[in-house]
Amino acid sequence: MNKFLMSGNNIIGEAAIRAGCRFYAGYPITPQNELTEYMAEHMRNAEGGVFIQSESEVAAIHMITGAAAAGARVMTSSSSPGISLKQEGISSLAACELPSVIVNIMRGGPGLGNIRPAQGDYFQATRGGGHGDYRTIVFGPATCQELADLTMDAFDLADKYRTPVMILADGMMGQMMEPVIFKKPKPRQYSENFMLRGAGDGKSKIIRGLILDAIDMEEHNWKLARKYEVITKSEIRYETYQTDDAELVVVAYGTAARIAKGAIKRLREHNKVKAGLFRPITLWPFPETQLRSLSGKIKDFLVFEMSTGQMLEDVRLSLQGYADIGFHGRPGGAVPTPAELANVIARYYEKKD
Amino acid sequence: MNLVENFDLYAPRLINKKELFSAGHRACSGCAEVLAVRLMCKALGENTVIASATGCMEIVSSMFPTTAWEVPWIHVAFENAAAVASGVEAGLKALRRKGKVDDRYVKVVGMAGDGGTMDIGIQALSGAMERGHDMIYVCFDNEAYMNTGIQRSSGTPMGASTTTAPAGKVSMGQKTWKKNMPEIMVAHNVPYVATACPSYPLDFIRKIEKAKSVKGPSYIHCFSVCPTGWRCPSHLAISMGRLAVETGVFPLFEVENGHYRLSPDMPKKLRPIRDYFKAQGRFRHLTDEEISMIQERVNTEHKKITEKAKYLKTGNE
Repeated sequence: MNKFLMSGNNIIGEAAIRAGCRFYAGYPITPQNELTEYMAEHMRNAEGGVFIQSESEVAAIHMITGAAAAGARVMTSSSSPGISLKQEGISSLAACELPSVIVNIMRGGPGLGNIRPAQGDYFQATRGGGHGDYRTIVFGPATCQELADLTMDAFDLADKYRTPVMILADGMMGQMMEPVIFKKPKPRQYSENFMLRGAGDGKSKIIRGLILDAIDMEEHNWKLARKYEVITKSEIRYETYQTDDAELVVVAYGTAARIAKGAIKRLREHNKVKAGLFRPITLWPFPETQLRSLSGKIKDFLVFEMSTGQMLEDVRLSLQGYADIGFHGRPGGAVPTPAELANVIARYYEKKD
Repeated sequence: MNLVENFDLYAPRLINKKELFSAGHRACSGCAEVLAVRLMCKALGENTVIASATGCMEIVSSMFPTTAWEVPWIHVAFENAAAVASGVEAGLKALRRKGKVDDRYVKVVGMAGDGGTMDIGIQALSGAMERGHDMIYVCFDNEAYMNTGIQRSSGTPMGASTTTAPAGKVSMGQKTWKKNMPEIMVAHNVPYVATACPSYPLDFIRKIEKAKSVKGPSYIHCFSVCPTGWRCPSHLAISMGRLAVETGVFPLFEVENGHYRLSPDMPKKLRPIRDYFKAQGRFRHLTDEEISMIQERVNTEHKKITEKAKYLKTGNE
């Protein structure tokens, strides 16, 4: 296996091309520009690969709608303000049941905010984001290796469930360089029946999201809901770190989880608090029961996010009052050090006793 | 005004001395765009509200908590400079009518880069022009998304190498022609459309002043050299602008109520575009064949604009 040293944005690009992504539409926005640039340069080396720089984010998402309907493996990427523009398209991708991968390299917000890493788009990503009754599978990678693996898996899941999948990383993940090993992609399994290939002799295929009849629309909604139920049952991923003997569990995802891991190591070295980490890898579906099962022996949880408290609500819903939940947040692009977080955890734990 | 003798003696007297875009901003050295913004502010004067799109000019001038702007300035998002400007204009109109603000004439100006105008912002701009708001829209065209790191836009000229249209063995870089934005604006039948370049400061200032005096929407397309993105020495920024005009790559003209007029600065005989391409890294890979192909197009476009200016003269000329 060859190891590559690449930055996060380039890793997503390379993983996508290896996974068979053959259509990418992008638009410049910091901090995901390197991904667009990587695709511009490398997509043409892939057989049948097409790169388009669109005239806006809205155009990019609808370009991938078209390409997905034609049957290609598609991806688009943007950063927070751009993802907001894409929401209409994501909603329509979910309604039309088109497989697609959307990468969100989050930055500080709201509004244009800044270009520093933040995690303020959690609600937007996990609650669907656009209008209507839908969800998207959301991955929250925390290492560059995971960026590579999850990008490849995202394409498989998108095809399997015919739904948009979002990769929710932040500016830190996008810009960071780490060695990665690209795994061998699985062969694509996507039925020819869902690809529009021009008029032929067979039955006509229709891809649409506009269903005017209320009863038909209700049925479509329930159909999507049943699909989301299956996803919730079978696609949950999470990681636990030193929770076996923990007295306090930090819940964090993405970059925040990396920092939390550092803080936990530090706390254990200094024999301060026996802390552990629970890291959801799929943010939707959220590993609710897995988190709740921890609350049997551990009664203290601390949610750490680079926002003012969004995943906090999911943790509350999961724990259902079985344990105490504290919160520490650094929104707007401020990234705390592990030492700072270790102090926060220690102080929180001491105060509790 | 452009043909003043003893230029150095008289020129400073013709320009507003008050700086409304102050020094200390964070633009790159040799940025001609920031020079254009400064000259624009001088020409507009104090009774101005500027709505700006995301871009270099927003980033360099408004790093919180500092600002270079000494006129009211608003920045919202990338695609909506024209929409915000039309909102400001309509709001001021309503307040003035109700007598809630004093009754002085305030010019509303929308400004954006080439990406914010030609790509993502064209919808808002077209709407504002069609509704006929009393505003000026200035497009600062540096021919790529320079703020995010030189990605191609629809304003990028044929053959230029950018990060998303890289030149190599197979590709010559940008493979499409530059979108002709001034003509699109002329097609909106707005009272005043002009192209300008800060390398010709007096011409630029005169055009902004004229746009200011026009009641209704006007559009100014400002060609701003970006040494960083064009990969040319920063001391050449002004001469690059002059070369663009002298080679006919960027003709200076104005359209008043559909009547074309070439600026007096336009040369009678064009220089070869090779002179313009020579100093720029983004064109370095072009072969002789490609250059002559672009030269041909420049000649045709120049001929077109001269014809228009010849046959569609104003009555008083």
